[in-house]
Amino acid sequence: VASVPATVARPRRRRAALSERRLAAVMLAPALIVIAIVAAYPIGYAVWLSLNEYSVRVPGLSRFAGLKNYREALGSPEFWDAFRTTFFFTGVSVALELVIGIGMALAMHEAFKGRALLRTTVLVPWAILTVVTAMTWRTIFEPDLGFMNSMLRALHLPGADVVWLGQSGYAMAVMIFADVWKTAPFMGLLILAGLQVIPEDVYDAAKVDGATAWQRFRRVTLPLLVPAILVALIFRTLDALRVFDLPFVLTKGANGTNTLSLEAQQVLTADRVIGLGSALSILTFITIMVVSFLYIRFVGGNIRALAEDR
Amino acid sequence: MKSSRGPGVLLAIAAATLVAACGGDGGDGGGAKTLAPGDAENAKGEVAWCIGKDTTGAFAEVVKMHNAQNPDVQAKLIELPTSADEQRTQQIQRLRAKSAECDVLGIDTIWTAEYASQDWVYDVSDVIADRKDEFIGSTVDSAKFEDKYWAIPFNTNAGFLYYRKDEVSTAPTTWEQVYTEAKSKDGVVYQGARYEGLTVNFLELLYSAGGKVLSDDGKSVAIDSPEAKKVLKFMVDGRKDGAVPKAVATYMEEESRRAFESGKATFMRNWPYAYALGNESPIKGKFAIATLPGYGGKPASGVIGGYNLAISAYSDNAEGALEFVNFVTQPEPQKIMASKASLPPTVSATYEDPAVKKAMPFALELRKAVAQAQPRPISPVYTQISEAIYKNVYSALTGQASADSAVTKMANQIDKALQTF
Repeated sequence: VASVPATVARPRRRRAALSERRLAAVMLAPALIVIAIVAAYPIGYAVWLSLNEYSVRVPGLSRFAGLKNYREALGSPEFWDAFRTTFFFTGVSVALELVIGIGMALAMHEAFKGRALLRTTVLVPWAILTVVTAMTWRTIFEPDLGFMNSMLRALHLPGADVVWLGQSGYAMAVMIFADVWKTAPFMGLLILAGLQVIPEDVYDAAKVDGATAWQRFRRVTLPLLVPAILVALIFRTLDALRVFDLPFVLTKGANGTNTLSLEAQQVLTADRVIGLGSALSILTFITIMVVSFLYIRFVGGNIRALAEDR
Repeated sequence: MKSSRGPGVLLAIAAATLVAACGGDGGDGGGAKTLAPGDAENAKGEVAWCIGKDTTGAFAEVVKMHNAQNPDVQAKLIELPTSADEQRTQQIQRLRAKSAECDVLGIDTIWTAEYASQDWVYDVSDVIADRKDEFIGSTVDSAKFEDKYWAIPFNTNAGFLYYRKDEVSTAPTTWEQVYTEAKSKDGVVYQGARYEGLTVNFLELLYSAGGKVLSDDGKSVAIDSPEAKKVLKFMVDGRKDGAVPKAVATYMEEESRRAFESGKATFMRNWPYAYALGNESPIKGKFAIATLPGYGGKPASGVIGGYNLAISAYSDNAEGALEFVNFVTQPEPQKIMASKASLPPTVSATYEDPAVKKAMPFALELRKAVAQAQPRPISPVYTQISEAIYKNVYSALTGQASADSAVTKMANQIDKALQTF
C-alpha cells in the first residue's frame, strides 16, 4: 500500500474509513458487553467447574482436577452411547424433516383456495410446546390403552402388541416421529420463504423453453432454493443435536434414547456430580460447535458462492 | 376438633427442662447445626413449609389448624411440584443459594443422607430421642444418617400386593406363587419402567431373599451376591414366560394402576394410594389387598417410602419451624393426612383411630408392613446407586443383558458411585 503513490483523495477516504470503523466498534460495544455477560461468563464458568471436583460428601470441599473429568467422560461407555444416539437421531430426523418440509413448502406455495388456512394449520404442531407434544405422543403410544395400539387392534393391523416406548428401536422411531411431526412445518416455513423470493419470470422463461414441471423443479426451483434449505438445515441440525425434552418425557433415556444433553443433565442435576456433569456439558457444547463450524465452513461458503452466482 | 398435642408437648416440656443447657447453637465451627426439644418452647414468628403439591388440600387444612391453635407461630405452605425429582431440584437450588425461603422441608426418605452430609438441615437427634416412642420404629430409622437423626417422620409408605378376588381365592404368600398364578391368569403388573420405582420393586424382592445392597457400614458394595442374581433371574423369567406383561417395561405407578383397574391384570404391586382409587373404578369390590409376599421361603421385607420433615439450616426461624414440625406430627394432624390424603401416618397410634380405619380399611396391615420395611441404601450418593440398580435391572428385564452380568455391572457401578469425591 505504501508504494502506491498517494492521491489526494485517498488519505481522506482512509480517515473516513477509520472513523467509521471506530464508530462501528462503539456501536457494537454494548452488544458485545451483553454477550460477554450472558454468554461468555457462564461458558467460562462452566469450563472452570469442569476442571474441578466438588465433593458430594463434605460441604464446600472442592479440588482442582485438571482434565480428570474429561478423561472420565470420554472413557465412559455412557458418553459414547449418548453420542451415537444423538447423531443417529439428528441425521434421520433432519433428513426426514427436509424432504417433508420441501413438500410442505411446495404445497403451501401453490395458489389455491384455502391456502391461508393450510398455511395456518400446518404450523399448529410447531406452535405446540415440545414437552406437551412429547406427553401427547407418550399417551398415544402407551401399550394397552394408548390410541396407537387400540387403533391397530381395531383395524386388525400388525403391531397392536408392540410396546413402543419399551423396546430399543421402536422407542427411537417414536422419538424421531414426534420430532419430525413437530418440526417439519418449521422447515417448510423457512423453505417457503426461500420459494417466495424466486421471481416468476424465471419460471416463465423455463416454460417458454419447453421445460416440464419436473424439469422446472429440478433445474430451477431446487438450485435457487439451496440457500434457504441450508439455513433451515443449520437451524434444525443444531437444534436436534441438543435434543433434551423429547427423550426426557418419552423414555427418560431408556431403550437407546439417551442423548448427550440428557446424560449431562442426569449427572449434573440428579447425581450432583458438578465437575463431571460440567465436563459432559462442555463436551456437548464442543460437539455442537464443531458441527456448526463445519456447516459454516463448507455450507456457508456455498451460500456465499450461490449468492455471488446470482 | 379437640387438640391432641398432649403427650408430645408434655414430653417436650419435660425434656426441655432437662436438656435446657444445649440450645440451638449456630454450629459455626463446622458440622451441622443442632436443635433441642426445648427450642420449640417460646417459638414465634413465621414459618414456611416447602413440600410437594397439596393435591388433596390436606396440607392446607393442617396449616390452618396449626395457625388457629398456635397464634404465636404462623405457618404458610409453599407448594413444590408433584414429582419427587422436581421437588428435590427445587429444594437443592434454594439450599445451595443458602435461601431462607423454606424453613421446613418435606424430604423423601432417600434424600436424608445427601441433605445431612451437606449440612443443609438441622441435626434433630435430641428431638428424636425425646419423641422416638411415638413413631413406628422403621420410620424413625428412615431419618437416620451416620447415627444421627436429621428429620422428624411425617408420612410413610410400603408396597402392597393387590389381587382380584374374583380370580384368586386367597392371597398368595410367596412371590413364586404370585408368578405361577399370574402365568395361568392375567399376569402381575408392577413398576418396571427405568426409574426409581424399579429400584424399589427390585429391592423388595432382594430384601425378602435376604440380600443387601451395601455392607452394614455403608462403605462397600454387597450386591454382587447369589441372592441378587437369583432374584433378578426370577424377574427376568417372569417376563419371559408371560407372568409379567411386556408392557410393564413402561409402567410407573399410574400406568400399573390403570392397567389393573381396566381388568388387564390379576395382580399388582403398588402403594396403598391405589386402594381408594380402585374403589372408584370398574373393578370396585372385585379386588383386595395383602401385605407383600415372601420369597425363597423367607418372609417378606418391604422397602420404606414416605416423607420426613427436616428443618433448613438456612432458616431464620428454626425454633418456629421445630414447633410447627412437632405439631403436624401429632395424632390429630396425622389423622387428617391419612383420611384426606391417604398418606400413611408415622405416629403408631393414629392407625387405631376409627376415621383412619374407615379411610384405610387395611390400616393395621399397613402398620405391620411399614414396621417390617427396610430403608433403601443410606448414602449421599443414593441417586447414583439407584441408577446403577434400575438401569441394570431394566437391561436384564428387556433382554439386553443376562441377569448375572447385569448384577456384576450393577455392583461395579455402585462401587464407582461410592468412590465419588
